[in-house]
Amino acid sequence: MTVEAKLSIAGLEKSFVGRKVVSVDRLEIGRHGIEGLIGPNGAGKTTLMGLITRKLKADAGTLIYRPGGTEIDLRQMSMDQVARAGLVKTNQVIQDFETLSIRDSLRLALAPAEREQFWTVFTKRRKRDAVEAEIDEILSHFPFENPNGDARSAGEKKLLDIIRCLLLKPKVLLMDEPTAGLPDDLTRAVMTLVQKKVAEEDLKVFIIEHDLDLIWDYCAHVNFLADGRLLCSGTPQEVKDHPVVVEKYMGVVDV
Amino acid sequence: MAYLYFSLALVAVYIGITLLLHLQFGRVGIVNFGVVGFWGLGMYAHGVFMVTLGLPWLVALLLATLLVGLFALALGALVLRLDGQSVLVATLAFATIVLHLVTTEKWLTGGVVGFGTIEYPFDFGAATEPAYLALILAFVAVVLVYALRLDSSAYGRLLSAIRDNEPLAHGLGKPTFRHKLIFFAVTSAGMGLFGGLSASLNQFLTPNMIAPGVTFTAWIALVLGGKDHPWGAIIGVCATVGLFDVFIETFAPIPADYALLVPNIKLMLYGAFLVVIMLYRPSGVLGGYGRRG
Repeated sequence: MTVEAKLSIAGLEKSFVGRKVVSVDRLEIGRHGIEGLIGPNGAGKTTLMGLITRKLKADAGTLIYRPGGTEIDLRQMSMDQVARAGLVKTNQVIQDFETLSIRDSLRLALAPAEREQFWTVFTKRRKRDAVEAEIDEILSHFPFENPNGDARSAGEKKLLDIIRCLLLKPKVLLMDEPTAGLPDDLTRAVMTLVQKKVAEEDLKVFIIEHDLDLIWDYCAHVNFLADGRLLCSGTPQEVKDHPVVVEKYMGVVDV
Repeated sequence: MAYLYFSLALVAVYIGITLLLHLQFGRVGIVNFGVVGFWGLGMYAHGVFMVTLGLPWLVALLLATLLVGLFALALGALVLRLDGQSVLVATLAFATIVLHLVTTEKWLTGGVVGFGTIEYPFDFGAATEPAYLALILAFVAVVLVYALRLDSSAYGRLLSAIRDNEPLAHGLGKPTFRHKLIFFAVTSAGMGLFGGLSASLNQFLTPNMIAPGVTFTAWIALVLGGKDHPWGAIIGVCATVGLFDVFIETFAPIPADYALLVPNIKLMLYGAFLVVIMLYRPSGVLGGYGRRG
């Protein structure tokens, strides 16, 4: 592989009350279009993503992010700076803005910081056709019951969460269990759109998922995490055949 | 007649601080129980700047507002990362500290003896009081227009997002803490501004004016009218301060023997109002937000 990784992790450690939850010696993300992260419950997958987005502070290790030619040390940054630098994570548990409609919640994602200041309330409002067109375009991929109203069902909220993140135009998108709470056809719609964006834009995706079919279908590269350590990584087939993965995760049933 | 203008000006000041409380609590969810601290600090600062330091009225008002803003900035930087209950306790404590310092630091504030006299900025003879009322109303109008415009602005949307789910907004790249801090500091400075305006209104300041009752009145008014709407603050103040301190005190023919009972009955009715509202219409007369279209 000659492609430079978007994200290089080395010696990353995190403990909660003395228990080491994440201890990743070396992990490079963003050499492949869509990459998977699998592992048993409690393996530290979500914690690892939290460390990358700076929601959690790492105890030790380095996190280097390369959005373009430059290298950024993520350990110097806050969570919102990380997101603005193009490293964005979708949520595992359904998250929503209770009083914002679907469109408003998407406008929020697209609004530039200079329009969201205390005094801009008094400046003249411009019509933002480009923003509305972009929202229309992305909404057209999904069957919202009322795209101009509110997200009501859990599925719509989950979907909205993912769409908001896509509108931020991330360079690296971390997806924490995108299928949890979504019906199968919507998951496929999401993944098809993500695949399209990966092919057309400068976007790399890193997915945590328990739905292994989705991992095998969409991921070019899979990492297996157990007890906070990276046990193996490789193509889906290599990981599928790895004896430890079979034993620890999939059981000895025929897969 | 002069007393009526004083009462109306009092209502206007309450509308001002309740509108600012609507911005803090209704828009962003900051539980400020130290309203009177910011208001009272502004009032005394304005007085001290004017009387002790001999500064012109407008300069004193601006400096008092700035001072309150700086205090709010420092307090906010300390507590706004914490949860609502902690913010409640911290702001309440701040107001208590202001009250105690005003009482004990006699060299600066005159203590319980009082501090004065803070003159009006202008003298139009009989027209002075109405003109001053108009001045206060002009400031109220600015806050009201701001609150109304916020509803349809990108900044208002961001504030709603922070109130609804701050971690989610943070994850979308919004510097939520900085926004909360600036908003809290500016709106608290606004409370200080209305405090400064109240200084000339009261002319003579005593510590009992900055007792917690001011905070509670603003809160009761806001909850009564509907915390999510700018008009809720106005309706709430008119139904509480307006009804008792203007309408009944000025116009109701209460026999002198019973006049002393009015303030107590007022407090009892405030409590009763609040219970009824909480039971039957918890988001106030004007109701809750609902989603924005």
